[in-house]
Amino acid sequence: MRHFTTFLSIQESAGTISMIGTFVVVAVVLFVVLTSGKAEDKYEAKKKVYYYRRRYFWGLMALAFITLLISFKWMPYSKTSDVDEEVVTVVGFQWGWRMVNGASKDAPKDMMGESEITIPAGKTIKFDVTSIDVNHNFAIYDKSGNCVTQSQAMPGYHNNLRYKFQKPGNYKILCLEYCGVPHAFMVGEVHVK
Amino acid sequence: MEELTTTEYKKQRKLIIVWGITFLVVFPLLVTLGMLMRISHAELADISAERFYSFMTLHGLGMIGLLFSFAFAGIWYLLSTRYVKLKLSVGYFVYITVLLSVIGLAVAALIGKFGPGWYLLYPLPFIGGSWPVWTTGLSTVSLLALGVGWLIGILHVLYAMAKEYGGFTNMLGWQYIKNKEDKREIPVIVLASTISLVPGVLAILAGAVLLIMYLLQVMEPSLNFDALMLKNIVMFFGHTIANITMYCAVTWVYTLLPEYTKRPWYVDKVLVYSWNATFFFVCIAFLHHMYMDLEQPLYLQIIGQVASYSSAIPATAITMFGIISQLYHSRVKWGVVPLTFLFGAAGWAIGGLSAVVDSTISFNKVLHNTLWVPAHFHTYMLLGVVLFIFGYLYYVAGEKKDIHTGGVAKLGLWTYIIGAAGFLLMFYYGGMNSVPRRYNTYSGMGVDATHQAGVYGAKIAVFSIGILFIGLLIMYVTLFLKLTKKDETKNLD
Ligand code: HEM
Ligand SMILES: [Cu+2]
Repeated sequence: MRHFTTFLSIQESAGTISMIGTFVVVAVVLFVVLTSGKAEDKYEAKKKVYYYRRRYFWGLMALAFITLLISFKWMPYSKTSDVDEEVVTVVGFQWGWRMVNGASKDAPKDMMGESEITIPAGKTIKFDVTSIDVNHNFAIYDKSGNCVTQSQAMPGYHNNLRYKFQKPGNYKILCLEYCGVPHAFMVGEVHVK
Repeated sequence: MEELTTTEYKKQRKLIIVWGITFLVVFPLLVTLGMLMRISHAELADISAERFYSFMTLHGLGMIGLLFSFAFAGIWYLLSTRYVKLKLSVGYFVYITVLLSVIGLAVAALIGKFGPGWYLLYPLPFIGGSWPVWTTGLSTVSLLALGVGWLIGILHVLYAMAKEYGGFTNMLGWQYIKNKEDKREIPVIVLASTISLVPGVLAILAGAVLLIMYLLQVMEPSLNFDALMLKNIVMFFGHTIANITMYCAVTWVYTLLPEYTKRPWYVDKVLVYSWNATFFFVCIAFLHHMYMDLEQPLYLQIIGQVASYSSAIPATAITMFGIISQLYHSRVKWGVVPLTFLFGAAGWAIGGLSAVVDSTISFNKVLHNTLWVPAHFHTYMLLGVVLFIFGYLYYVAGEKKDIHTGGVAKLGLWTYIIGAAGFLLMFYYGGMNSVPRRYNTYSGMGVDATHQAGVYGAKIAVFSIGILFIGLLIMYVTLFLKLTKKDETKNLD
């Protein structure tokens, strides 16, 4: 999903950050090993390391703080400014999904519905997600196999997940919370027109 | 404390060797279960879904149980031979309860195919499981026994330290903050293990409450607990235990690394602030497991992310920089022990970073419950805690005496690291391709790209685990040779 930048998906950003971090760590390890042969008084060595430690500490504090503030912008939680153009009610059960267009008036366990549903592109859809037995997780996958968003489906709770499908096409629903032996086969489908 | 007599010393040493051998026997068995899971993912062999999930459950509970138990045993040995008096009877009591509960869990999983995952997420163990009720009962009782064993062991250690160092606040290092001249000095391991073990006590108590609720549910099936509350409790338990396993192992590094670098490592104010902060963050970071429970109160979600980020700061700034300042220009001889300690810290840093990425809510909404999650915690377990354990075992086996003969051991270490890296990389690759975790097979999801990525990664993972096993074998042989060499015991300190 192109979200943070026009270049990288969230998954690619996660991979890139971790890879860069790994290179830095490996470089530090190599540096420590390769330079360890030089003898230096322990107080001198400590002073030097602590010089960098102070900078590292304040740098990291600043980075963590800024990242926190920025990242909160993309949280998937309900806001007062949310405008729901369509509603889909979703009930997870062992082992499948029942979905209907619109807010269902039935109790979750009485709701009839299909594992496939059709919705419009370009509109904010509110998925009202719950479960009638154990925990499941309603995850939407696009055609290229990327998870675009998800929400737990928990018995006794209604999670409101909002998503705007930009492109028409078929999206798969997978269950991302282990819910029993057939968990890997608990699929559904969303047709975006 | 009073000097340890030679017989007391030998007895404590025997206990850690018993623990060490147990680790060396059980660890490869649990790795084998992991390999079988990856074989199923790679579609190289047909493993039934029931089998897969019972392997997954036993692997997860077994690994966490084994690693935390050894982490605790490692602290026990260092404390008991240097700083405080610890009762052997309690030590063996912990050992026996751990052993019995592991047997109980293995019976439930391997015979009864008990398979709700390590976290037994309520109400899964009770609804729609393919495993019989007795397996839920047996596992619950086994886990309770494990908790009791750990609790008694930990409380004994905490009590002994409190007696030796004049109370709990001294163990937390608060006397350093007051700047008094005549303060009671403490070694780093006392501060660090107090901060690791007290959250452990809280976690075990929470786990016990949960298990008692489960027993009630077994007896009275009509009961109905709040699923979100129980998820919070189980995550507090599991996350905290997994976290402090690392912190416990780090206490050994604080204690042992100075012996190789000849640079003493003292408690100072900064260390006290940092570890006390860690105490706080370790206890609340678990909230990041509920990010995708959109009904969890918003302030808890935000606290979860803030705490997860914050816990990385003292860990890296103090422990990692501490390790660097130990080693930098130290002319240390790179035997296996300092090498595993340095590499272990690196593995911890890398796993920690990918954990922090995942603990960002806006990343978590696509990474949650994909293979990214096992990727990050296997990194800091396999390339962190397990490396520290091997370093510790080489230390106990007397590596210090003949530092220069570690060539073969180092070959084993490198082979292990290469195998582990390949295995881990494929978890990350899976996570980046949204491959779900806890799927016995990727063949049924109907998303071709994800299915293919999953199978492809699993194949390389299986191959890498093979390499890891070769590395393990080499390390085993060198460890065994060192251990059986007589006369090492006397020259350890
Ligand atoms: C080479 C060694 C290892 C291999 C091959 C391995 C393999 C695996 C695999 C394939 C899974 C299932 C992933 C999935 O969700 O699809 C898994 C889960 C897990 N592993 Fe490992 N693992 C190894 C080492 C460890 C270690 C050292 C620990 C230490 C704590 C550990 C703890 C766990 C836990 C807690 C789970 C989650 C179980 C659950 O979801 O209920 N593993 N491992
Ligand atoms: Cu499921």
